[in-house]
Amino acid sequence: MPPKGKTVAKPKEAEKPTPPSTTTTSSPTQPTTVNDRTKQRIEAINPLSAAVTRAGGISHLAPAERTLYINARFAQSPTLRAKLGTKAQRDLWRHVNEASLPVRTLLPVIPKTNIWGSDKTGRDVGTYSPEEFAARSQRRNRLTCLLVASRAFEARRERARRGVKDPVTGEVVMVAENEVDQERERRREMDALRRELYGVKTGSYAQDPEWDGVVPVELGEQEGELAAIAYPEEYAEAISYLRASMLRKEYSPRTLRLTEHVIKLNPAHYTVWLYRFSILSALNLPIPGEINWLNGIALSNLKNYQIWHHRHLLVDHYYPTIASDPAALASFAASETDFLSEILERDTKNYHVWSYRSFLVRKLGMWKMDNERERRSVEAMIEDDVRNNSAWSHRFFVVFNDPEQSTPDVAATEPDPAVPGDIIEREIQYARNKIYLAPQNQSPWNYLRGVLVKGGRKLAEVEGFVGEFVKNLGDDEKEEVRSSHALDLLAEIYAEKGDREMAATCLKRLGEKWDPIRYGYWEWRRGMLEA
Amino acid sequence: MPGNNFSSLPDELQLATAAHVKYIQSLDTRKDEYEYWLTEHLRLNGLYWGLTALHLLGHPDALPRNETIDFVLSCQHDSGGFGAAPGHDAHMLYTVSAVQILATIDAFDELETRGKGKGLVGKFIAGLQNRESGTFAGDEWGEEDTRFLYGALNALSLLGMLHLVHVDKAVQHVAACGNFDGGYGASPGAESHAAQIWTCVAALSVAGRIDLVDTDKLGRWLSERQTPSGGLNGRPEKKEDVCYSWFVLGSLEIIGKTHWIDREALIKFILGCQDTEKGGISDRPGDAVDVWHTVFGVAGLSVLRYPGLQPVDPTYCMPKSVIRRVLGK
Repeated sequence: MPPKGKTVAKPKEAEKPTPPSTTTTSSPTQPTTVNDRTKQRIEAINPLSAAVTRAGGISHLAPAERTLYINARFAQSPTLRAKLGTKAQRDLWRHVNEASLPVRTLLPVIPKTNIWGSDKTGRDVGTYSPEEFAARSQRRNRLTCLLVASRAFEARRERARRGVKDPVTGEVVMVAENEVDQERERRREMDALRRELYGVKTGSYAQDPEWDGVVPVELGEQEGELAAIAYPEEYAEAISYLRASMLRKEYSPRTLRLTEHVIKLNPAHYTVWLYRFSILSALNLPIPGEINWLNGIALSNLKNYQIWHHRHLLVDHYYPTIASDPAALASFAASETDFLSEILERDTKNYHVWSYRSFLVRKLGMWKMDNERERRSVEAMIEDDVRNNSAWSHRFFVVFNDPEQSTPDVAATEPDPAVPGDIIEREIQYARNKIYLAPQNQSPWNYLRGVLVKGGRKLAEVEGFVGEFVKNLGDDEKEEVRSSHALDLLAEIYAEKGDREMAATCLKRLGEKWDPIRYGYWEWRRGMLEA
Repeated sequence: MPGNNFSSLPDELQLATAAHVKYIQSLDTRKDEYEYWLTEHLRLNGLYWGLTALHLLGHPDALPRNETIDFVLSCQHDSGGFGAAPGHDAHMLYTVSAVQILATIDAFDELETRGKGKGLVGKFIAGLQNRESGTFAGDEWGEEDTRFLYGALNALSLLGMLHLVHVDKAVQHVAACGNFDGGYGASPGAESHAAQIWTCVAALSVAGRIDLVDTDKLGRWLSERQTPSGGLNGRPEKKEDVCYSWFVLGSLEIIGKTHWIDREALIKFILGCQDTEKGGISDRPGDAVDVWHTVFGVAGLSVLRYPGLQPVDPTYCMPKSVIRRVLGK
């Protein structure tokens, strides 16, 4: 316990010269620590105890000192005094008065106990130098002052909330914006002081007056271990406020900002996205602004799919408001295409982006919009990388699902008489041109087959073209195959025409030489020819 | 077919079973790592992946059964659905994992006595079906994806509650996700992707409608996924990755075409992705391991009849013995 004023011996008594002593005391030096200073003070008012300690026990004291010491003990203790007779007590008080012994003193401290507490590093405050201790006390005082001011602010705001009138001015209490700012500043200082004094950190939400009244929902037992581990406190705090806000079903600007914070820390947290969408709908916030914000997040989190689902929800929500305005629809489609092109430039085969893109085309009816911009945009991507299967797949979707030139609900693998012949021709030609660029590229071969099926065409229609990639089939030395896909298609063309022998040769050579890793497949195909 | 003479393979091409078991056991003790908490939204899925890998490796008791049940039930909401971890929203994907875990450790009874009961789980899943289109959403927010549709049919069939949903409508939707190249995408018009193909084909398998698949065309596309490394990719012109050892191979197995690829080359590829010391399997040789690639690598090896592994059911990605016990077939 720190010394308290009322138990300190009166200076008059303490300053009186101590009785003569054989075991001399060294005069107190300047204390270097708080503990030193305490010890010196206690010794100064307990001269006899100090002498006993120095001598190593009562029995080592000179007889006169021993008598004094024992008298002092009796004088201080009513219990001991009660053991004495009346006369002995009178004698005792006479001795005490003559020796001028202090009867009220500080109790001696039990050695090695920490009476000042520890600081944030675990250091005993008693080991502080007096200067350090003074500085610490000053900070504690400052913190107390700030706390009082902060409480006053809270009380004032509460009065403002309830519409209480100021008894002096008679006006309703108002909390001005700058008062909130001052409070925020005050809490920042309090947080700094608490950290410095006690190592206690106050999170940024707990510091923010705007979030007062929200009790953060800490994570459960399993997550309670968070405090003890290297788990970023910032995330833990933000999540606890997120939980609290979701439980309150609060849809407000501050919760919108909170979701942004959590998303930036961990965009894969699916719940936060759903919550964000409900805030946007509840507040009826403009969707283009949200999409603009989302673009930045998407560009820095390419593999995250929650972002694309969120965008999907936004478009579903936004579409009815622009559906009847062709100009608005076209402008929205254009801005989306611009962004999609930008993101696909960085990650050309991103599945989430392409899935969203096909959804968007259907939703906004972008088939022929802006002079077939969608098809041209994909064409440009295939120009850049003819092996981009995602772009090929999207082209097929755009060309063969346009309601103006296709039959609804016809499967992708079925012929569709509603597709105009010139479109089929154009697509066959397109695939052929791209195959020339990279004959072993699977995508345009698959595309070519897909187009032929859509158009209800026979495979034999491309026999001449396919034959260009296969020379001297079956001749071990001169055989030249520039594409295993061509050989595969050729086998089907022969089979279609009923030439089983040639078909079998194609398949045999594929398994033996041109694509041995799928030996099992080619042999199965060969076996099917017999059937 | 080349012979399967695995015992003659060098040490690094043997399956490091003991290391994998230890790795999976260690996953839940890594709570001092930031990563553990950032992946909290996958916790229940992670448990399903780890547990399934352990069962296939022949160590079904390597995770404590009671604690597993306690954790799973602690993720359940009043709606019957499960979240990724306590305090996370209920979602189809975690509900499916919860059902799969409870089925694997034969704990449906506990769901009845200590949880909120099978009936409510079935109701939660059925409630996510769009009765018009047959599709399923992941949660009340309506994101639709063939993954959710598959998950719904998977879990409901394990619970014996397929009658709660319009299976025929769901089947029609899967058919609409078919593409010109024989594959399937996440939604009508989306590119064919091996993972989506597996969910579509497995969903049709649960529904007993594999007859709708053009197996020759699909098998051709799937077998083209094998690259010269022996590994499989998920789409044309993409890199091979161990997870497709499951999505491609599981699909091939369902349609009975596994022999169309080079099995030994694929086994070598998967084994080359192991961390033989610390355990776990990665996407490609030399990369960091994770539990997702570990289960799909092990499951792939099981399809390939790698010795010492329990047979896996290609439709459910769970041990065949479990499916036999639960479905009685």
